[in-house]
Amino acid sequence: MKLDINDIGLITGLSLFLGIWLGHVGVRKLEFNFANIKLLSMLFFLMGCILEWISITGEILEWKVIFGVIGVTLIWDALELFRQEKRVQRGHAPANPSNPRHQRILQQYSDASTLDPFKVDLIKPLTTVFNEKSDEGKDR
Amino acid sequence: MTIFGLVVGVISLILIGSGFVWVIQGERYFGYLWWPYVMGFGVLMIILSLFIHNDWISALLGALGASWIWGSTELKNQAIRAELGWYPEHTPKIHPPFYRIIEKWKAPRL
Repeated sequence: MKLDINDIGLITGLSLFLGIWLGHVGVRKLEFNFANIKLLSMLFFLMGCILEWISITGEILEWKVIFGVIGVTLIWDALELFRQEKRVQRGHAPANPSNPRHQRILQQYSDASTLDPFKVDLIKPLTTVFNEKSDEGKDR
Repeated sequence: MTIFGLVVGVISLILIGSGFVWVIQGERYFGYLWWPYVMGFGVLMIILSLFIHNDWISALLGALGASWIWGSTELKNQAIRAELGWYPEHTPKIHPPFYRIIEKWKAPRL
């Protein structure tokens, strides 16, 4: 018996996962280090548009999906850079003291901090991560 | 020249957007220990998509699966956010089946 497999769904899923993952990590890293996120955001938007153009004009369905999905996530990331800046202002993400833009945020926003709230033992022990920590201890 | 890829991309974006909502609400009322079930559902959707011949439906199932797998890795992060006081906490949670076993596993976080 020959199985007729349609790989479009799998490729969509993989591109989406890769797109979110890269965006997730990339946005945090770039926002942390770059002084000018407006320029960066425009580059993301432009790159997203180029990928969408390749997707629209392309012939092979698999590539159309890969470029289409990753292009849209790039356009989203262009916005996400500013959302990340807001998180830094609220102290939900760590500020980088050697980044001039973050230096200004640290001066203007009292909630902003160089501490990463997710590295929680710096602030207060959380029961949510307590079990995990004791598990990690066993591994070592 | 078709907009198949672009439309699938936009649908993916909407699915991720809905992920923001269900991860927050799901963690609030059910707790992060549901993550293996959420991840399993996502994997199942992607496997199912392999056997669907209609490209639109297959792509939709693939995107749905990926967004659920991603959401399952976000549940633990959301639990931490709630405990930090960024989101209102709700107790008691409705625990999943076998939660005593799941508690011992390290929940994935990306």
